[in-house]
Amino acid sequence: MAAIEATGVSKRYGTVIALDRVDLTVAKGETFGFLGPNGAGKSTFINVLLDFVRPSEGSVEIFGHDCHAEGVTARERVGVLPEGYSVFERRTGRQHLEYAIESKSADDDPAEILDRVGLDPEAAEREASGYSKGMAQRLVLGMALVGEPDLLLLDEPTTGLDPNGAAEMRDIIREENERGATVFFSSHILEQVEAVCDRVGILQNGELVAVDTIEGLRESLGGGTKLVITVDNLRNGTLETVRGVGGVETAVEREESTLEVTCTNDAKMDILVQLHDAGVDVVNFQTEEASLEDMFIEYTGTDR
Amino acid sequence: MSWDVIARQDWELTVGERSTKYLLGLLGFVIVVTAYAYPLTGSEPYTTGRFAGVVHGSLTTLVPIVGVLLGYNAVVSERESGALRLSLSLPHSRADVVFGKFLGRVGVVATALVAALAVAGFLVVYPFGDLELFRYLAFVGFTVWFGGIWTGIGIAASIAAATKRRALVVALFLLFLFVLAWDAIADGVALALNLTGLIDGELPDPLQFLFGLEPGRVFGRLTDGFVDPSATVDGAWYLSEWVALVLFTLWLVGPLGLAYRRFAGGDLA
Repeated sequence: MAAIEATGVSKRYGTVIALDRVDLTVAKGETFGFLGPNGAGKSTFINVLLDFVRPSEGSVEIFGHDCHAEGVTARERVGVLPEGYSVFERRTGRQHLEYAIESKSADDDPAEILDRVGLDPEAAEREASGYSKGMAQRLVLGMALVGEPDLLLLDEPTTGLDPNGAAEMRDIIREENERGATVFFSSHILEQVEAVCDRVGILQNGELVAVDTIEGLRESLGGGTKLVITVDNLRNGTLETVRGVGGVETAVEREESTLEVTCTNDAKMDILVQLHDAGVDVVNFQTEEASLEDMFIEYTGTDR
Repeated sequence: MSWDVIARQDWELTVGERSTKYLLGLLGFVIVVTAYAYPLTGSEPYTTGRFAGVVHGSLTTLVPIVGVLLGYNAVVSERESGALRLSLSLPHSRADVVFGKFLGRVGVVATALVAALAVAGFLVVYPFGDLELFRYLAFVGFTVWFGGIWTGIGIAASIAAATKRRALVVALFLLFLFVLAWDAIADGVALALNLTGLIDGELPDPLQFLFGLEPGRVFGRLTDGFVDPSATVDGAWYLSEWVALVLFTLWLVGPLGLAYRRFAGGDLA
């Protein structure tokens, strides 16, 4: 049984299509990154998972429970950090955790959770409506961790966190995953996803355009090799020469006399030979692995 | 079944709010003062049953105001801010949220009403009055029920509307219609029919029934029929206090039920 099983999920608002026939299976125990530029439909998908939004077509199940018909049962095993929430007025941080603990009939110790998410016990006695965005985010992450959920649904979890906080968030995600929890989190920040995810799905204009491991995505992207070549003198026609080599996908001039080429692995030597034959002196060259960011841009055609 | 968690949290939040204290304080004050003044201004015999007939007038105005003002922001303010998302991310259904909020707020109103009416009953009975225990308990029950109806109407507005402002407008409209304008409308219709010669004197029974549907008038018929020995209920069978009991039930479940269908069926994002 999969942690998340989406079948043909569409959501239309009038004529706007927010989700377009999304099929997605997230296996138990994996850390899945849900990636896409803002407005791609990530939050809509998570809203369907949480039954905030009813899909126009299709259905989603969490551990085999339909998110709409059996929403409460589905959410019993889920910890959620939703997007667009706000904390309760006139309730302290600790009362928020107690509310989550009672709601889930769990027996966690609020102090332990506070410590895990890095909220200071004194702050927990203050009203949460006075918290900064980052503190609120830690608090709600704490609520999500209550009751050792089998699935963590985190919508843009690092919003409002400083780099330190983001790193702590990633540590918690890893810990939870090691404990056995499935983690599903959305982000438009690629480094986050790259750092912790087993697999990623890329959503673009409501369509799931790719689902793969990061390795797999690299491979599907021209072997994933990027070649940076510095030559003595970039002449007219040099770029064309490189583009003419079999296996080359893109070749652009990065800066003065530096070329950036993406190509299959096998084509690397051919390019150097070809340049040599054309009378261009190669001063330096290095290969880089295509980063997720390159893939992301490749897939979505946007720069985040 | 997790509405109890929500009810408890909502109770604590509602009790802690300053506006709640003012509203309930005003309600309690009026009830107690009426009870204090009743033996001074009324005529013998002083009984809790006859007191009910006296205090009922201010209750039909004040309880709706308090109920609506406590109810209208119950859900919609959390929906607007986004705190509702936290509740619904936990294993609570939308029905749990509505029912929990309803219980929490009605609990607050009921506690205030019971306390004020207990003090009032004591003031009526001591030193010269008579306590008709079962009739008075019935009256306290009807009053709490009436408070539940109006708090429910407020909460119905709260879950049917997407913004706090709209919820307030709907709630105030119903308050205005039923509490302030209703009697004037009924009198106007009676006057017009009299002037045109269609009727002579009172409204015919079917029209009385129609105008008698308003919750305050239903409450009045229940008080007259079951509590106040000096009052009587007459007219067609459908104007009886027993039919009023059915109407009272419908008022409690109807508005909330209709609004809930809308709330449960729609998107919250």
